[in-house]
Amino acid sequence: MATATKYIGKPLKRKEDPRLIHGLAHYVDDLVLAGMLHAGFVRSPHAHALIKFVDTSKAQSAPGVVAVLTAEDVRGQIGAVPCAAVLPDMKAAPRPVLATGRVRFVGEAVAVVIASDRYALRDALDLVDVDYESLTPVVDPEKAISKGAPVLHEPSPDNVAYRWELEGGDIKKAFKQADKVIRQRILNQRLVPVAMEPRGVLAEYKPGEKTLTVWSSTQIPHLLKTQLAAMLGAPEHSVRVITPEVGGGFGSKLNVYPEEAVIAHLAMRLGRPVKWVETRRENFLCTIHGRDQIGDVEAAVTKDGVLLGVKWRIVADLGAYYQLLTPLIPTLTGLMLAGCYKVPAIRIEIIGALTNKMSTDAYRGAGRPEATYYIERLMDLIAAELKKDPAEIRRKNFPQPKDFPYATPTGVTYDSANYQKSLDLALQKSGYAKLRKEQAKLRKQGRYLGIGLSTYVEICAMGPSSAMPAGGWESATVRVEPTGKVTILTGASPHGQGQETSFAQMGAEILGLTPDDVHVVHGDTAAVPYGIGTFGSRGTAVGGTAAYKSLIKLRDKLAQIAGHLMGEDPQKLVFGDGRIWSKSAGNKSIGLIEAIGAAYVAKTLPPGMEPGLDATTFFEPSNFTFPFGAHVCVVEIDAETGDVRLLKYVAVDDCGNVLNPLLVEGQVHGGIVQAVGQAMFEEAVYDEHGQLITGELMDYALPRAGALPWMETHRTVTPSPVNPLGVKGVGEAGTIGATPAIINAVVDALAPFGVRHVDMPAKRERIWKLMHEAPPRRAPRAPAKAAARRQAGRRAK
Amino acid sequence: MIPAPFEYHAPKSLEEALRLLDRHGDEAKLLAGGHSLLPMMKLRLAAPRFVIDLGRLKGLDYIREEQGMIAIGAMTTHAEIENSSLLRAKCPLLSETAAAIGDVQVRNRGTLGGSLAHADPAADYPASILALEAQMTMNSSMGVRAVDAAEFFLDMLTTQLRPGEILTEIRVPALGKGTGAAYCKLSQPASGYAVVGVAARVTLAAGKLAQIAVGVTGVGPKAYRAVNVEDALRGKKASEKLLAEAARHAARGVEALADLHASAGYRSEMAAVFTRRALERAVARAAGTKA
Amino acid sequence: MKVQGQILLAAARGQVWDLLTDPAKLAKCLPGCEKLEAAGPDRYKVSVKFALAAISGSYSGAVELSEKKQPESLRIMLEGKGTPGFMKGEGRIRLTEKQGQTELRYEGEAQVGGMIAAVGQRMIDVAARRIIQQFFDAAAAQLRSSVPGA
Ligand SMILES: Cc1cc2nc3c(=O)[nH]c(=O)nc-3n(C[C@H](O)[C@H](O)[C@H](O)COP(=O)(O)OP(=O)(O)OC[C@H]3O[C@@H](n4cnc5c(N)ncnc54)[C@H](O)[C@@H]3O)c2cc1C
Repeated sequence: MATATKYIGKPLKRKEDPRLIHGLAHYVDDLVLAGMLHAGFVRSPHAHALIKFVDTSKAQSAPGVVAVLTAEDVRGQIGAVPCAAVLPDMKAAPRPVLATGRVRFVGEAVAVVIASDRYALRDALDLVDVDYESLTPVVDPEKAISKGAPVLHEPSPDNVAYRWELEGGDIKKAFKQADKVIRQRILNQRLVPVAMEPRGVLAEYKPGEKTLTVWSSTQIPHLLKTQLAAMLGAPEHSVRVITPEVGGGFGSKLNVYPEEAVIAHLAMRLGRPVKWVETRRENFLCTIHGRDQIGDVEAAVTKDGVLLGVKWRIVADLGAYYQLLTPLIPTLTGLMLAGCYKVPAIRIEIIGALTNKMSTDAYRGAGRPEATYYIERLMDLIAAELKKDPAEIRRKNFPQPKDFPYATPTGVTYDSANYQKSLDLALQKSGYAKLRKEQAKLRKQGRYLGIGLSTYVEICAMGPSSAMPAGGWESATVRVEPTGKVTILTGASPHGQGQETSFAQMGAEILGLTPDDVHVVHGDTAAVPYGIGTFGSRGTAVGGTAAYKSLIKLRDKLAQIAGHLMGEDPQKLVFGDGRIWSKSAGNKSIGLIEAIGAAYVAKTLPPGMEPGLDATTFFEPSNFTFPFGAHVCVVEIDAETGDVRLLKYVAVDDCGNVLNPLLVEGQVHGGIVQAVGQAMFEEAVYDEHGQLITGELMDYALPRAGALPWMETHRTVTPSPVNPLGVKGVGEAGTIGATPAIINAVVDALAPFGVRHVDMPAKRERIWKLMHEAPPRRAPRAPAKAAARRQAGRRAK
Repeated sequence: MIPAPFEYHAPKSLEEALRLLDRHGDEAKLLAGGHSLLPMMKLRLAAPRFVIDLGRLKGLDYIREEQGMIAIGAMTTHAEIENSSLLRAKCPLLSETAAAIGDVQVRNRGTLGGSLAHADPAADYPASILALEAQMTMNSSMGVRAVDAAEFFLDMLTTQLRPGEILTEIRVPALGKGTGAAYCKLSQPASGYAVVGVAARVTLAAGKLAQIAVGVTGVGPKAYRAVNVEDALRGKKASEKLLAEAARHAARGVEALADLHASAGYRSEMAAVFTRRALERAVARAAGTKA
Repeated sequence: MKVQGQILLAAARGQVWDLLTDPAKLAKCLPGCEKLEAAGPDRYKVSVKFALAAISGSYSGAVELSEKKQPESLRIMLEGKGTPGFMKGEGRIRLTEKQGQTELRYEGEAQVGGMIAAVGQRMIDVAARRIIQQFFDAAAAQLRSSVPGA
C-alpha cells in the first residue's frame, strides 16, 4: 500500500453517525407498508413438553385477528431451520419453524397470530390455548450426556450431538516428561447477546410480479435469501432480502431464524405485508445465546514453566436445536486452544450436548474468547503454581517472530506476529513493574489490588472457503458514476462496524477524490452482488479487499483512458485532487471527470476498450488472519463486599494495517466492554426446570458506563500477508483479549487468600465468599479499618 | 410490550380522583410516575381495568417548609427531591437517597408517593423515610389520616394504604445542628435497585449519640427500623468500634430475601457492612468533621 | 423451589383431615379460589386468582389428592395454567396429634413457568410463603369457627 496517504489510516469520523445520532436512520420497526399486518408468536412456557392440543378458536374470532396458524397449518410448506455446519457423526436435531408435537425450550414458537394492528395482536396472543403435558427437562449439559437422562431428539439417544477430537504431537510423552501437571475446571458461562435493536422481519409479496421482499435485521442478507428460497420453495431470483439499519448483532443476527421464514410465508399466503418485531423478552428467550462451555484442562509443564502438552475436554451446551452454526462454534474453540504459545502436544475432546435451552451459536468472538480464556487462565495457573511472574511464563512459551508462518498442533497456521513486542509494550504502557510494587504495598494495608495479563491470538478474516461452511470469499462492485461520484456495492453487510466510512476512505485514496464522493451500499440483495456477510471480523480483511481490488481495476481503466487522451504512459499517471496527473511531464493533468466522461460517452476510448466504469471482484483469501495483542487490567477488590472495581485497562492490539484508527479504537473499546460483561456481570441462568430466570434487563446485568475504567489503547502493526491491504480484523479482539485479563486480575487480587481460580461472572458474593471462607491458615489478616473506610467513602452514594 | 386494555382517567382534582377510586374499587390503579406500574402492565403481570392518572392533577407536587417540618407532595419526582435546595439544606438525606435511585430517566418520572405506595422491597426511599420518622398523609373520600413511617410498610408490596386511599403528602423533619444523616447503598448490578440500602440519622449531644434512627431496605420483604442497632448505640459515645459492633445487629431477626444477586446470608452480612458505613458517615456529618 | 414448614392447628386431627379432603372446605382455604369442582375421585377442577398488590395471575387447572392415609398423611398436587404461564405444586402433608391439637407438616416443590418465572425471581419465594401462610390462616380460621370452645 502507498506509504504517504491522504485518507487511508486517518481517523475520519464515521459517515454513518449523523443519521444515527439524529434519529434519521430506519430500522425494520420504522418501516410501514400499506395494508401491513402484524404477527406475533405464541411461545412455550415449558422447557420440555408434549403439545396435546392447540385451541385457536378464541383467538381466531377475536377482533382484528386475520389468522392463527400452528405447525399443522404450515406442514410441508416451510422447511426446517437450516444448519450450515456439518461435522463427522453429527446427529440430527431438526428444528421445525413451529413446534411440532413437542417443545424443547422455553420460548419455542407454537403458533403464530396475525392481526390488523399490534394491540389486537397482543390481546389475541393470550387467547390461544395450548395444552401441554410436561416432560422432564435436561438443563445441565453434563447430566444431559450421562446415562438415563431424558432424550431430546431420537437420533441422539445420549443427547450427544457429536464428539470432536483432535490430537497433535506426542501427548503421552509430554505428560511422562512433565515436572508438574496442572488441572483445572474452567467455565464459560452462557451469555445473551442483547443487541440494542431486537430482531425484526417485514415481508411483502407482490403476486403480479411474483416477488417476495424481506426486510430483516440480519448480518447475512444473501445467505438468508438463499435459505429462505430453499425453506419456502420459492425461486431464488424472486426473493430479495434487504437489511435496513441493523442495531447491533454480535453474531446473534448471523443466523436464519424460524420467524424469518414464517413471516415471509405469511406474506405470500395472505397476500399482504406482514411484520414481526421481537420483544426484549423474546430476544432473551429465542435469539441465540453465546458461550456455555465447561472446560477441563490438564497441562504438562516443566519446572521452569515450559508447556510440554495440554489435554482439553470441553462439554459445549448447544441447546435444544442447531441454529445456523451451532455445532461449529465449539470446534473454533478447539482450533485456537494452543493460544499464542508453542504447545508441542495437544489432545482435545469436545462434546456437543443437547439440552432444553435456547441454541448457542456465534456470539462476538464465537469460540475464540472461550479458547483464549481457557489458555490464558492456564498460563496464570502455571505461573501461580510455580510462583513465577505471569509475564515471564508467557514470554517463555511464545514462538519467535522468525517462526512465522507458525503451524500449531491444532492444524492452523498463524500468518504473522510478534507477541514479545506487544507484551513488552503493554507492560511498559501500564507501568507493570510499578504496579507490582504498589500491589505489595497495598496488601500490607489490607487492600487488594489485582493485576491481570492476557496475551492472545485470534482467528479472523473468515476465511478461506475451504474452511468455511458456506464459502469464505467476499464480493464488491465499484461503479464510478458519470458525474464522478463513486458507489461501492459490498457483499459484506456492515451493521455498526463503520465500513461506509473506511471503504469510502479507500475509494477516495485510490481515485484521488474525497470520502464524500464515495458512497457505500450494502445489505440489499437486489442491488449488490452476492456476498457472504459481516461476521468473524471479516468485513474489512475480506470485503474490504474485494472493494480494494475493484477500485484498482477501475483506476487502471481510468489510467488507460487518461493515458490515451493525454498521450501519456498510463503507468506513469497518478490520481489526486480530482485529477489525473502525469508524473513525467511537469504539471500536465486532466480532470478525472474527463476520463470518466470518455468512458460513458464512449467516443474517445482507446481502441477495443469496453465502455462503462464498473468492476466486480470476488476475493478469495488464502488463509485466515491471526490478530494478536496483550492486555493489562488492574482491579481493586473491596474486601468487605467482594465488589470488583476496574481501575485501569491497557490494551495493545495488533490488527495489521489500519484503515481508520478511530474505527479500530471503537471496536476495541466495545469489545472490552463486552468482555467486562462476561467477566463481571452477565449470566444467562436457567433454573432446574429450564426456566430462564434472567429473562430481562432487570436481572441480566450488562456493564454500564460507571463500571468501566479509562481504557488506554495502543497498537503494534504487523501487516498480514494474506491480503493486499495487510489488514487482519479487529471486530472481536476486545472480547477475546479482555475477558481473561480481567479474571486474571481478580484472581491475582485474591492470591493472598489462596484463591487460584474464580468462575465468571466475578460476582461480588462469589468473591466475598472466597475471601471470607479462605482456609484460616492462609487467610491474611482482616482488612485494615482505614482501608475499609476509604472504600466506604468511595462507594457510598 | 403492550398492556391489556384499560380505561384511562385523568382527574383534575384530588376530589375527582377519589371519586373515581371509589367508583372503580380494586379494579382501578393509580398512576403516578408509572415506573413501577407500567412495566408490570406491559408484561401483563398487572391488568387494572381502570387507570387513574395523577399526573394531570395540580397540587400534589411541592416541597415546602411548615413549622420545622418539610412537607412533600406525593407527586414530587425523584429528580425534584434530588435537586431541591430546601431539602439539600435542611434534610439532605432525602436528596442523597433520591440521587441513588435508578438513572436520570427514572428519576425524572418516578415519584416519592409512587415509590412508597408501591413498597418494593428493594426501593431506596423507605430506608430514609423510616430513619427520618416521616409522617404519611393519606386522603380518601372519608377524610384524611396520617400514619408514622414505621407503621406504613406492612409487607412486600403492601402498605397501610386502603382501597380508596391516595397517599398525598410525606412530612419529614428539618434536621438541626448536631444531627447528621447518610444513605449508603449496595446496588443490584442489573436493575440498580438496592440489594441493601441503609439510612442512618444520628444526633450528637455532649459527644453522645442522643438520638439515633436506622432504616434498612433491600434485606427483607419490607423495609424496617434496625432497632437492635439503635438500642446498642443510644446514649453511648460514638467510636469506630462501637459503631461496627452495633452494625452487626442490622439484620437480626429479619426474614432475609434471596435472589440471583445475593443470598440471604450475604444480604444479612451486607446489611451490617452498610449500616456501619452509613453510621460512620452520619456521625461524621453530625460532628461536622466531614460532609 | 422447595417449600416446607409446619403449623399447629387448634383442632383434632380428624377435623383437619376433613378440612383438607372436603372440597367445599378446601376451596375456602385456597387463596383467590374462584371455583373448585369435582372432576373424578379426589380430583377437582379449580380456578384461582393469585394476587400480590398490583401483580396478579389467573390460573385454571386441577387439584389432586393422593396417597391418602387417613388421618395422617396425604399428597396434594396443584397445577394450573394461565396468561402469565403455568404453576405447579406438589407436596406431602403429615398430621400428628399434639395434646389435642394437630401439627401439620408440609414439604414439597413448587414451580412457576413463563413470565413470572422470568421477571419475578426475586419475589417468588416470599410470595409463595405468603400464599401458603394465607392457606393455613384460612384453614385455622375455619377450624376455629367450627370447633366449639377452641
Ligand atoms: C429502570 C428502573 C430502575 C429503577 N431503579 C430504582 C432504584 O434504584 N431504586 C428505587 O427505589 N426505585 C427504582 N425504580 C423504581 C422507580 O423509583 C419508580 O418510579 C417508583 O418505584 C414508583 O414510582 P412511580 O411514581 O413511578 O409510581 P407508579 O409506577 O406510577 O405507581 C406505583 C404503584 O403505586 C401506586 N401509587 C402511585 N402513586 C400513589 C399515590 N399517591 N397514592 C397511592 N398509591 C399510589 C400505583 O397505583 C402503583 O401501584 C426503578 C424503575 C425503573 C423502571
